[in-house]
Amino acid sequence: MANYYNIDDILAEEGFVPVVFHKAANGVVIDPSSETNSVEQGAKVELPLWLAQELYLRQAISISVPACFSQRTRLEIQADAACVDLKSRSPYFYEFGCKIAPLVGDKTIEILLLSAFKIRYKEILTKAYTAVFTTTSKFLTLLTKEETNLYEAAQASMAAFKKWRMGGPRLQRASVLGRKRKPLD
Amino acid sequence: MAGQSDPHISLFSAEEVEFMAEDELIEIVPNLRMDPLNFICGDFGPFLPQIATQVPFWLAVALKKRGKCAIRPPQWMSVENLTQVLERERESQGAFQVLPFHYVEISRLLFDHARDDIPDMYMVRSLIEDIRDVRIHKVETSLEKFSGTSAVKIPNLSAMEVNIIRPFVGRALQAFYKHDNPEKIPDVDRASSAQTRAANNEPRMIMAEEFYNYIQVSKRFFFFFWFAAATEEITNHFQPASDEGTSVLLETLFGESYLVPFSL
Repeated sequence: MANYYNIDDILAEEGFVPVVFHKAANGVVIDPSSETNSVEQGAKVELPLWLAQELYLRQAISISVPACFSQRTRLEIQADAACVDLKSRSPYFYEFGCKIAPLVGDKTIEILLLSAFKIRYKEILTKAYTAVFTTTSKFLTLLTKEETNLYEAAQASMAAFKKWRMGGPRLQRASVLGRKRKPLD
Repeated sequence: MAGQSDPHISLFSAEEVEFMAEDELIEIVPNLRMDPLNFICGDFGPFLPQIATQVPFWLAVALKKRGKCAIRPPQWMSVENLTQVLERERESQGAFQVLPFHYVEISRLLFDHARDDIPDMYMVRSLIEDIRDVRIHKVETSLEKFSGTSAVKIPNLSAMEVNIIRPFVGRALQAFYKHDNPEKIPDVDRASSAQTRAANNEPRMIMAEEFYNYIQVSKRFFFFFWFAAATEEITNHFQPASDEGTSVLLETLFGESYLVPFSL
């Protein structure tokens, strides 16, 4: 249950998926524009993943492929995975896909994710270690949370190494001792 | 490690790697007479003027700072040897040359503290920097090639280089593993004990083939107390060495690194 409290996991499940209801549901306000507080059988709505998962277990709905894995995205990824703005679709693209795959029963998602990640990973690698801040800012907006994690890890370790190489005093003055204050009378 | 503000980035900071590098033995030429020093890590034997003795690096630096010795640079640090190593590094695309595990840290410490003891210091320094650049570049190119595998083996990598790429490669491997096998998403709990790690069938990364590491802190305490306190680092965050065999692996297990040291 380590993922239960993991913030990234919780946020990844926030993404919406289109579902089709098999049973009618009363007393729920899923579609704010509808007049009645209920959903009929066969209605198509967008639910967050955490809700959809539970309803799926109760066999009340059937889930279809969400919008971020649509054909258009796949074509874009196949064209050039490194430049696709995955963050706009979902900042948790990969986790989302991993969770969706068993529910939707779509095997191609995993392959798609893997190939996309491989290509983007190469890009991250080359940019992470030899970073000049101005050029990479545009690239950073394309990355999902997971990839940003990778990138920042590499950056941080490289920066720490460079700082160590510079030398300097081994002891740092604590920030609490910053300013001398005049004693109050 | 303890005292780090963000332990999820890397298990060891650069300073900690340097701390561990200071355990290497190095030769000094003392200019004083002193009785043998008895530490937990060993006895370092009577110091007679102008007689070369082998001592740990931290002891050498401390003595040097007090002007009580001259440090002799290690064998591998000659200009000829380094030029040879540099040439071979540039020629061979995939392989890394054999260099001492802590060469980066040792060379930096020597430059800081024992500048006058190294002949041709600037030449040596620039050579080492070049070697380091070439090696890091090689590491990056070799990392580009690997994809989707679950184990990465890079022999002859040095401690500081390992430390630089450790968080990145750890997380990248984890991500690859997750996407290859979406059913078995591993548990990335850092506080998990060694038993859960062994039980999981997760890929491991063996970074360097031959190196050794001692985790001994308390002997430094004895030394500094005896010498009436230097102001160097006093850290006490290492756990005692376990009684494993003589093999030491540096394993990165999904961004979580641990050293399994061998006891003396």
